[in-house]
Amino acid sequence: MKTQNVLKTENQMIHTPKKVKNSKNKTIKIIIYVLLIVLTIISVIPFYMMIINATRSNKEIILGFSFIPGSSLIDNYKTMIEYVNIWVGFRNSLFVSVCVTLLSGYFSALTAFGFAVYQFKGKNILFLFMLIMMMVPGQLGLIGFYELNKFLGTLDTYIPLIIPAIASPFVVFFLRQYLSSTLHPSLLEAARMDGAGELRIFHTVALPIMMPAVATMSIFTFIGSWNNYLVPLVMLFSPDKFTLPVLMGFLKGSQVAENLGSLYLGIAISVVPIMIAFLFFSKYIINNISAGSIKE
Amino acid sequence: MKNINYKGYYFIAPFFIVFLIFNVYPVFLTFYYTFTQYEGYGKPTFIGLDNYARIITDTYFLEAFMNTWKIWGFNFILQLGIALLLAALFSDLRFRIKGLGFFRAVFYLPNLITVSSVALLFGIMLDWQYGSINQLLLNIGIISEPIHWLNQPFTAQLSVSLILTWMWFGFTFIVIMAGVSGISKDYYEAALMDGANSRQTFTKITMPLLKPILLYVLITSLIGGLQLFELPMLMSKNGLGEPEGSLNTMVLYLYNQAFRYNNYGYAATIAYALFLITVIFSAVTFKSMYRDAKVMKNRGE
Amino acid sequence: MKKFFIVCISITLMSVFAAGCSSDSESSSGKDVLKIWSFTDELEKYGAVEKFEEEHGIEVELTIVPIADYPTKLRPALESGVGAPDVFTGEVAFIKQWTERDYWENLSAEPYNVDEWEDDYVPYVFDLGKDPEGNVKALSWQTTPGGIFYRRSIANEVLGTDDPEQVGEMFSTWEGLFEAGEKLKQAGYRLFADEGAIRWFARGVDSQPWVNENDELIMTDAKVSYFEQAKILRENDYTAFAPEWSPSWFASMDGPIAYNGGWEDVNEESKDKTEVFAYPLPTWGLHSVLKENAEATVGDWGLATGPNPYFWGGTWLGVYKDSKKKDLAFEFVKMMTHDEEFLTNWANETGDVLSFLPVTDKIQDTVSEDFLSGQNNYKFFLEQAKAIDANAVTKYDQEIDTLLGTHVQEYVDGKKSKEEAVQDFYKAVKNAYPNIKTP
Repeated sequence: MKTQNVLKTENQMIHTPKKVKNSKNKTIKIIIYVLLIVLTIISVIPFYMMIINATRSNKEIILGFSFIPGSSLIDNYKTMIEYVNIWVGFRNSLFVSVCVTLLSGYFSALTAFGFAVYQFKGKNILFLFMLIMMMVPGQLGLIGFYELNKFLGTLDTYIPLIIPAIASPFVVFFLRQYLSSTLHPSLLEAARMDGAGELRIFHTVALPIMMPAVATMSIFTFIGSWNNYLVPLVMLFSPDKFTLPVLMGFLKGSQVAENLGSLYLGIAISVVPIMIAFLFFSKYIINNISAGSIKE
Repeated sequence: MKNINYKGYYFIAPFFIVFLIFNVYPVFLTFYYTFTQYEGYGKPTFIGLDNYARIITDTYFLEAFMNTWKIWGFNFILQLGIALLLAALFSDLRFRIKGLGFFRAVFYLPNLITVSSVALLFGIMLDWQYGSINQLLLNIGIISEPIHWLNQPFTAQLSVSLILTWMWFGFTFIVIMAGVSGISKDYYEAALMDGANSRQTFTKITMPLLKPILLYVLITSLIGGLQLFELPMLMSKNGLGEPEGSLNTMVLYLYNQAFRYNNYGYAATIAYALFLITVIFSAVTFKSMYRDAKVMKNRGE
Repeated sequence: MKKFFIVCISITLMSVFAAGCSSDSESSSGKDVLKIWSFTDELEKYGAVEKFEEEHGIEVELTIVPIADYPTKLRPALESGVGAPDVFTGEVAFIKQWTERDYWENLSAEPYNVDEWEDDYVPYVFDLGKDPEGNVKALSWQTTPGGIFYRRSIANEVLGTDDPEQVGEMFSTWEGLFEAGEKLKQAGYRLFADEGAIRWFARGVDSQPWVNENDELIMTDAKVSYFEQAKILRENDYTAFAPEWSPSWFASMDGPIAYNGGWEDVNEESKDKTEVFAYPLPTWGLHSVLKENAEATVGDWGLATGPNPYFWGGTWLGVYKDSKKKDLAFEFVKMMTHDEEFLTNWANETGDVLSFLPVTDKIQDTVSEDFLSGQNNYKFFLEQAKAIDANAVTKYDQEIDTLLGTHVQEYVDGKKSKEEAVQDFYKAVKNAYPNIKTP
C-alpha cells in the first residue's frame, strides 16, 4: 500500500515537464498494458478452464474445450463426494495450519525473548547452533523423522506435523532481530519494579511489541504449512486424516480420476476458497512479502 | 536485585527440547542409516560405505541431478526476466503504469495455490488427448497436431519449467518491486534530469542497487528448486519421473527409493548428497555475488 | 482491517474446533468398531459390510485407498500398529510380500484351523494365501482368470460371427489376432483400447516368476515378444490411444470416442472417432468395469479366449496379527470366503466368479449373463482358472510390472530400440532392487 502511494505521488510530480515525448510514450504505454493484460490472462486462464470444466461432463470434456459452462456440476459433485470428501481434507488442513501457526508464533516469540533479554551461559553457542541447523533442508532428516515417529507411535497422527512447529529457527531468528531493535530494557525494568514475573512481562510487555513481526511471519508459516506435501504424505495414511495437498495426490489415483469433470471439480474446490480468501487479504499478504524480503 | 538471567533457559527450553527431538535427532539418525542397508522392516544391516560407493556411480542420481538443474534453471531465467521487466516498467517514472496493486495480486495468485492442486490441474490439462491446453491451442490454430506434452522428455521438462515460472514470477516480481521501492527516489530524479533513458536508468541504477535482493531471490529459488518434488511426482504417469526419467528429480528419487522400493539406507544417502549439493551451490552463489557486489561498491566510491 | 482480520481468524478457529469435535462424537456411537482397509469399494458396494453390521450389531469402518497408494499407506500402519485395521485386503501384486512378513494372523493355527477348508477352494487361490512355510495367512472368495470381452455387433459386422467359440478360435494365435485387427481397422474400428491391454498374456504364457529363488530376474521369451506384439499393435494402428483406467478408456466402452486427438470436428459423423472392439479383462472386469461404464452397449458383449490363458488381480483378505478383535475380524473373513449362503447371493448379485467350490459347483451350469447376451461366463472362467499357477507370483510383481510397462511403452513410442529398452529395463530393476541379478 505504502509503495504504491509513494510511486503515484512521485509520478505526478515528475511527469509534467516532459510533454514532447508524449505520443511516443503513449504507444509504448499501450504495448506495456497489452503485455500486462496477456500476463494477467496467463495467470488466470488455467483457473478459468478449471472452473468451466468442473461444470461439464466427462464426455463433453473429452470431445473438446468450451468457454461456456456446462450443466453437470451437480452430477460431478455427486461422483466426487462418493469417493473423496474434499471438505474433510479442508478441515484437516485448516486444523493443522492453524495449530502450526499458533504454536510457531507463540513459542518462537518465547524463544526470541529468552535470547534477546537474558544473559546466560552458552547463549551464543546455542544461537549459532540453531542458525546452522536452519540451513539444513527438511528432506535431510526425513528418513530419520519417519523412523522416530514410528518408534514414538505417532505415525498417522498430526503430532509430527504440528509439534515440530514449536521449533522454528527461522521465525526465532527474525523475531530476535526485531526484538533487539524495538524492546527497550527500561520497559522491562519498569515492569519488574511493579513486581511482575518474567513470564508475565513476556505476555504483557514483549508479546504485544512483537505482534506485528509475529503476524508477518505467521503469513509465511501458514502458507508453508498449508502447502506442505511431502511430510504429511509420508506420515499420514488414513484417508480421513489427509490434508488437502495429500488428498489432491490421492484424487489422482482414485476412481474420481475416471471422470474428468469430477476431477476438475475436486481441484476447483481445493483452489477456489483460497482465491476468495486472497481477495480479502491480498494487500496484507503482498505487503508482508515485500516487508519480509527487505528485512532479511 | 537477584540474578534472573538463568530464567532465559526456561524461555528457550521448549524450543530446544522439540528441536533436539524432532529436528536434530532425525538428521543424525538419517546419517546413521547412510551406512546401512535397511528395508524399514527388521533391523538395519551395517554395510559401511557401500551406499556412498553406489551414489557416486549412480547414473539415475546423476540424471536426477541434471534434470533438476535443467528444469529449475530454465524456469529461473524466465521468471527473473519477466519479474525484472515488470519491475523496470512499473518503476519507470515516464509511463505512469497504473494498477500495480491489482497486477501484483493477480500475478501472485498462482503461487498461493497448493502445489499438488497445481500439479493435478496441469496434469490433466496437458493431457495430449483430452487436455484443455491442446484443445485450446488447436482451436486457436497455434498448433495443427496435438502435442504429447508429458510423453516426451523435452516437452515434459519444458512444461514443468513453465509451470514453475507461472507459479513464481509473481512472487519474484513482488520481492524485486519491494527492493526497487526501497531505492531512494533521488537517484531516479537525478537520472531523469541528466536525460538518462529507461535502459540506462535500469542497468546503471536499479540493477546494482538490487544486488542484495537478487541474491535473496536466487538463493531461495535455488534451494527450493533443488527440492523440486510435487510437480514431477504428480505429473509423471506412475510417479517414477516418466517420460524416460526426464522428470526424475533428486527428491523424487529419494522418495521412491525410500517409500516405494524400501531402500531406506540408500535414500538416506541421497538426502545427504542433496544437502551437500545445496550447501556447495549456495556457497558458490553467495560468494560470487558477494564479490561482485564488493567490486561494484569499490568502483562506485 | 485489523478487526476484520481478527473476526475471520476467530470464525475459522471456531469452525475448525467445532468440526473436530463433531467428527469425534460420530465414531463413538457406542458400538464396537471393526476397521477394514481395502483398495476397492466392492465390499461396501454389494452390501457385505452392511450385512455384517446387522448380524453382529457392530459398526464397520471401511477405509478405501486407491491401489497405487495402498501398499505405501498400509505398510507403515501395519508395522507401527498405529491406526492399523483389524481386517485388510491384499491384491495379488502384494500378497507374496505380505504373507512372508508378519502382517496377517496365521489362520492355519488354532482356533481358526482353515487348513480344513483347503478342498473347498480353487487350488491356486488357496495356495497364494500361504506363507513360505505353508501357513495360510489370507483367503479369497474369488478367482480371477481372464478372457477377452468383445462387442458382438461389431464382430458380426466385421468378422462375420459373434459366436464366442469362433471368435476365440480367431484369437487363439497372435497372427489371428492381428488379422482381425486389420479387418477391424478397415471397417473403422480398433481392436484394443491401447497396447498395454495385452500385457497379461505375456505373463500368462509360461508360468515363470519374475524372480526365482536365486534372486535372478527371469525374462521369458513371452515377455520379450510382448515388446514386439505391442509394437505391431501401434505401428499398424490397431489401438485407439485410450490407456487403461483413463477417462477415454471408460468412455470407449459405451460408444465412439475421439481418436488420435481429433477433436477439431466435434460433429457426430466425424471420421476422427472410432469404436473399440475388445478388452482383455478378467472376471471382475465384467462387473466392476464394463457394467459400470456401459449403458448403450448392454447385451452387446461376448467373452472369448485369447492366445493363452492368464489371470489378473484378485483380492485376498486376512486378520491383522495385532488386532484386538481377532474373533470378530475372523468372522468377517469367514463370511466373505466361507459362507455358502452369503456367497451364493454374492455370486448372483455381482457376477463375480467365486473360488469357493461348494457354491460354484451349484450354480455354474445355470448362469446366464444378460450383459453377455446370455453367455455363461461362469463356466468359461472356471475352465480358464485351471491353467493358473500360483508359483508365478512374487513379491516384486507390482513394481517390476510397472517398470516393464514403462519400457515397453518407450519402445512402442519409438524412443528406444528394443535392445536399449530391454537393457534399460534391467537397469531400472537393478536400481530398485539391488539384490536382484539381471541377465
